Order: sequence, then C-alpha cells, then structure tokens
Amino acid sequence: MSGRQRVDGQTAFILHSYAYSETSLIIDVFSRDFGRLPLLARGARRPRSAMRGVLQAFQPLELAWFGAGEVRTLARAEWLGGMPMLGGTALLLGYYLNELLMKLLPREDAHAALFNAYATTLQSLAQSRNGSVSATTHLRQFEKALLRELGYGMVLEREAVTGEAVLPDRLYHYLIERGPVLTAANHEVAGDQIQGQTIRGKTLLDLARDDYADPRTLSESKLLMRMLINHYLAGQALQSRRVFLELQEL
Amino acid sequence: MPGSLENLIEALRCLPSVGPKSAQRMAYYLLQRERPGAQRLVDALTAALSRIRHCQRCNTFTEDECCERCSSAKRDPSLLCVVEMPVDLNMMEQTHAFNGLYYVLMGRLSPLDGIGPKELKLERLLERACDGAVKEVIMATNFTNEGEATAHYLSDLLHTRGIKVSRMARGLPVGGELEFTDAGTIAQAFYERRDY
Repeated sequence: MSGRQRVDGQTAFILHSYAYSETSLIIDVFSRDFGRLPLLARGARRPRSAMRGVLQAFQPLELAWFGAGEVRTLARAEWLGGMPMLGGTALLLGYYLNELLMKLLPREDAHAALFNAYATTLQSLAQSRNGSVSATTHLRQFEKALLRELGYGMVLEREAVTGEAVLPDRLYHYLIERGPVLTAANHEVAGDQIQGQTIRGKTLLDLARDDYADPRTLSESKLLMRMLINHYLAGQALQSRRVFLELQEL
Repeated sequence: MPGSLENLIEALRCLPSVGPKSAQRMAYYLLQRERPGAQRLVDALTAALSRIRHCQRCNTFTEDECCERCSSAKRDPSLLCVVEMPVDLNMMEQTHAFNGLYYVLMGRLSPLDGIGPKELKLERLLERACDGAVKEVIMATNFTNEGEATAHYLSDLLHTRGIKVSRMARGLPVGGELEFTDAGTIAQAFYERRDY
C-alpha cells in the first residue's frame, strides 16, 4: 500500500460537485495546503447521509481524505461555520470566483495566499448587500491576487517600455504580460474619447492601491481585468458571466 | 461483437450512472434472459416518447395538453408553487398542506453547469405567473446554493411584475433535536431565527 496518503484536518472549500454513480458525489475542492483537487464522497447523496448538509459550496469545511491516484476518497467532512450562506447577487459572484478557480488554477498546486484571499472575499460577499461597491472592490482584489499567484502579476505603477512612473492624468494602453504604455497620440485626458483598452493613469494607480472610490476607476478597472482574464482563459467561456448577463436581460 | 449488440450497449450508456461495464451487463441480460421484458421496454419507451409532453400550464409531464391537476376546479388558482422537479411536486402533494397549483422548472439555475434562464425557459414561468389569477408565488426550490439562486432571481423578476412572492421556511425538521442535527442546518436556522 505504498504511495497511499492520508490527509487530515485540511481547511477547504467546495468549488463544485457532480453526481457520481447512484449515491456518491465527486467534489472539486480548493484546500489551503494541497490546492485544488477532486475527491470522491462515498454515499454522500444517500437520503440520510450525514454529509448531505455539510458538503455545500461557499462554506469553510475541515476535510480528511486518503488514497492514491487522481481522485482520492473523502473520509470526513466537518462544518467550520462562521459564514452565512451567500444569497442573491453575492451567490452569482461566488459562482464567478469558483469558475475562475476551476478554469485557471492547475490541480494540486498549493496557493495558501490565494486560499486566504478567496476566504476573505467570500466572507465580505456574505456580508455585502447586492452588488455594492465593497463587493466589486473585493472582486477586483481577488482577481489581482489570482493573477499574481498564477505568475501573471500586473505592472500598474511603472510604464512597461521606459520604466517611468505612471502619471495620473495621462492615458495608457495596457499590453498583456507587459504593462501600461503611454498612448502615442493622446497625451492628455480627453474625457469622452476613451475607447477600447485605453486607461487613465489614475485608474492604474487606484487599482494598484485598491482604491475604487472613483466611479471611472471602477468601470475602467473592470474592463481591464476582464481583458486580462479573458486572455488567460484562452478562449474558454465563463458560464457564470453568461448566466449573469442573461438574468439581467429578463 | 455484432454491430447491433454494440449499438445496444452504446445506447444504454445514455442512462445516468451507467458506464460501459453496466451497459454491457444490461445488454447481455436483456438478450439472454429477459427478451419479453426487453420488448415491454421497447413498447413502453415508444409509447412514452410519442405521448408524454410538458403540461402547458405547469410544465410537468402529462399526456394531455393540460394536466389533470391544472384543469381541476378544486384547486386554488391564486396560489402557484414553484418546484424544481416532479418528485418535489409529489412530496408537496403528500403534505396535504397545499391546495394551489404548481409550476415545475425541470431543473435549477446552475451557472457552473451552464444552466441559465434560457435553458430553464424561465420566461414561460413568468408568463404563467402573470395570468391575472395568481396572487402569490411560493418558492419551494431546494435549499442548496443552486436552489437559492433560482429562488432569488425568480422572486426579483416576479416582484418587478407586482406579484407577491414567499419562500418555504428552512430550519430544524419536525421532531428534530439539536443534538442530532448537523451544524450547517442549526447555523442557518439561527441566522434566520424569527420573532416568537
């Protein structure tokens, strides 16, 4: 039985779960020290299974598992609590976080800092009310933390080509994997003429400091993060974003 | 292996939680030991496929344009209960607590599985709830994250159309003892405690 491992007392969140065979569940787990991995929860879908109420997404759990190979077996799951269930818009934002992790985070890669950022973001989503500024702030912080942990950290305060400090009243283009460069033609803030991926220097500096008080910073940083995340998703569509947009249309 | 046998095995795999091994076992069993049963299966499938459709009003399975419950004069048309699946409807009926009508979603919003408002045809429910007779819509979707998301968005959509919405209460089961209840249920019952 060499190669068999037992892990105990691991704090983790469930990102998603899939029905497996008649009564079991495969859970996609994000754990503090072992990263993202799938676990088989035997019998978790039986009507009287003690795990039924515990194996919920967006709740901190303490898990134990064993086994070798790709899918290990869940041995124990305990409810850590302290986090109200997400509701309303916060719930959809939660799905967005989970989908980002599932699509961008490789399996079995430990990211303790990202884990903590995820837990903090969920906690603030659970406490924020429907799509408030604070919820948006936490989303941006999480997206930044995710890119940083994946090794795609953003350059925000220095110009990519010259290395000079970014100036708040200049306009920049953001080059993927390089950073901001001054727009050649436009050396002054031209109000309404901003299009595409042109970003104010102030937005970049605000984003670096996580200051989203300025509504224009809020909208420009959202577009910038969306462009970067779409790039790293390499063509994979985000279902949670599509569902969110479709719900707004009804 | 003969082509038709291979086809049968492949066809059986469309059933939930049937893998290649189980499909093979079922195919051999039907052909060797249960030929009359296999014929009954064929007849039943053919009949069901041609006759069963969704009720125009409640979306559940029926053989008629409109199911028996929806056309009954004994039911209260001012109450509409939204459930995820026909089994949930059956459970609600067993309570004998509800005498209104139903709408069966045949699923739930599940963004990570790609199930959104289009897949669930939510606009059909909105149309149904706005027929003028419905006074209150009761959300009886499951208390999972997906069920909650479904209930939340539906209630938003119905509120803007001026319809009263209520949600099933959640908490300890009848006869439930704290000692034997899971922590998640107790925690949520605590967060949602009410004046007494």
